[in-house]
Amino acid sequence: MSAARAMSEGFGKAESGAQLLARLEGRSSLRNLEPYLFADEGFPMHGDVIEFHGPEGSGKTEMLYHLITRCILPKSGGGLEVEVMFIDTDYHFDVLRLVTILEHRLPQSTEETIKLCLGRLFLVNCNSSTQLLLTLYSLENMFCTRPSLCLLILDSISAFYWIDRSNGGENYNMQELNMKKCVKFLEKLVREHLLAVFATTQTIMQKSSSSAESSFSLKHQCEAEVDYRPYLCKSWQQLVTHRIFFSKKCHSSNSKGFSIVSCHVKRNHVVKCSFSVAECGVQF
Amino acid sequence: MRARGAASAGTPSAAPQRAGSRRPGAGPPGWAGAVPRARRPRAGLAGARLPVAAAQPRGCVSAWCSASRLLCPAPLRTRGRAMVILHAGLCPGLTAEMIQLLKANGIQTVVDFISSDLEEVAQKCSLSYKALVAVRRVLLAQFSAFPINGADLYEELKSSMAILSTGSKSLDKLLDSGLYTGEVLELMGAPGSGKTQVCLSIAASVSHSLKQNVLFIDSTGGFTASRLLQLVQSRTEEEEEQVVCSVGPVKLLVVDSVSAVVCPLLGGRQSEGLALMMQLARELKTLAREFGLATVVTNHVTRDSSSGHLKPALGRSWSFVPSTRVLLESSQGAWGKASTQRIASLRKSPRQPTGIQVELDIGGYEALEERPGASGEEL
Repeated sequence: MSAARAMSEGFGKAESGAQLLARLEGRSSLRNLEPYLFADEGFPMHGDVIEFHGPEGSGKTEMLYHLITRCILPKSGGGLEVEVMFIDTDYHFDVLRLVTILEHRLPQSTEETIKLCLGRLFLVNCNSSTQLLLTLYSLENMFCTRPSLCLLILDSISAFYWIDRSNGGENYNMQELNMKKCVKFLEKLVREHLLAVFATTQTIMQKSSSSAESSFSLKHQCEAEVDYRPYLCKSWQQLVTHRIFFSKKCHSSNSKGFSIVSCHVKRNHVVKCSFSVAECGVQF
Repeated sequence: MRARGAASAGTPSAAPQRAGSRRPGAGPPGWAGAVPRARRPRAGLAGARLPVAAAQPRGCVSAWCSASRLLCPAPLRTRGRAMVILHAGLCPGLTAEMIQLLKANGIQTVVDFISSDLEEVAQKCSLSYKALVAVRRVLLAQFSAFPINGADLYEELKSSMAILSTGSKSLDKLLDSGLYTGEVLELMGAPGSGKTQVCLSIAASVSHSLKQNVLFIDSTGGFTASRLLQLVQSRTEEEEEQVVCSVGPVKLLVVDSVSAVVCPLLGGRQSEGLALMMQLARELKTLAREFGLATVVTNHVTRDSSSGHLKPALGRSWSFVPSTRVLLESSQGAWGKASTQRIASLRKSPRQPTGIQVELDIGGYEALEERPGASGEEL
């Protein structure tokens, strides 16, 4: 029984001591990912789930490109040299834009170095929430066997919201079933493989001004200021450790056209900053 | 990266009627209102016509989908349909007895099977653990998406991506040298702001100058074949070049307008209409990406209740779909006079700063060009 259980504990769990050390060491190097983004201590730890929330055109995808370049650039170019898994649910990812940013950041950008950097990025396209769930299951193997794969990006996790709602009929539980399963499995992946997860959600609901909503929003002071109304399932709300709200300044008289408000969910610690987007990517 | 001109000549698939009623070489009649509107184009869709009022919302969306499948016969992705019930023959190793035993223990769909603990299942159903693991592996390979390496993706895109020039220098400047394949451009504006004219001009230019096939889906009845003929005639005098039938891969997809089809679906039972709209958006983007099409859609505008600014219709959920948005407006100085000047401003772009404005002349027979002597203003 115990032998069978040991065998069945997922594929690839049998690893040597060297692999284990490599896995833990490789995954702890997200320290200097982006100090401006995080509300405390300045680095994401393993097990952090960070949500980017904002309307269209507010710079969420640009910020993701910025984070990806920080990860995949070699150490000599100022990056962390770790691998990134990018799950794209609405065909938004533009590899050529990423290459433009890489070319600006690398001191000498030859075709070889660009390919080497891009070799650290893996991209998956998902068409439905069921396929997203099954893809997460099949990616588990990759996380086991690649110790330097420590960042998972989901752009965006709310893309199937309306389709799921319509497929689920009148029952809220049926509507949220797939998303709940995805979140549960994501939690397992994050815990067992020490990942950091970045996920974007879109602002598709207007902030309601009813009294029920406002009493909820007073709990988190940062949410009272921004146009945020949670609509994904409760288990996702509980999984998120940091929430970062993006907004676009209407009159960009100064050069910084976008602003972010970053909240640590448990400690209710808020940090604000602004950035602008240029040809070479995000600039703080 | 420049647009590749293929060897086969192209024409908008709604082939304009041969100018049998006019002598070749006669000057084109004034188009504003004097020309009878052509019937909705059949476009080789074997009678599938998109109704203006969506009496059967599901019907119009599927007519679209079936139209696209007729034109693009490559096998479509099947991996999205994963709510599959386990049945014999789904994959090698999944026998009918296995399915009966699994069903008896509550495992009916692929998702149930993959998310269950195989060791428990092996015990409860008294099936071989190894067989279950093998089936799980095959099912995952069949129904989940494969990751692709960034370097391979880059190689693939370098050879397959193209930029289609719209035929107008000022519009190209706005769009960073033209329409990018794999992306969706949204033209928005009030009625009469020139969206259909711009679409016709782009279609004429791509089919004539770049010799690429164009699929023009018209849902408002605004497609005027004679206007298209004028635009094509202004580019070339030879009749053979003007009317060419070609069957081949489509490179440009124009949908005029998407809001006319979707707006009737919204506002009633909220989530169903929105779900249809998002499904439509998903199909559009999948077509654009998988077949390397450049896509242009048109949309209406509404006024924002709080600020009074113009904002695109179809709501917040749709706003995430197009990657570039251009607003068309009449010039300020055209009070009461019929003018063909329009101002196009960039509202959203993945590559350029927003706020750039250029002037377009939509009434000419040439490509949309700036007025001589006026230059595009920039904010």
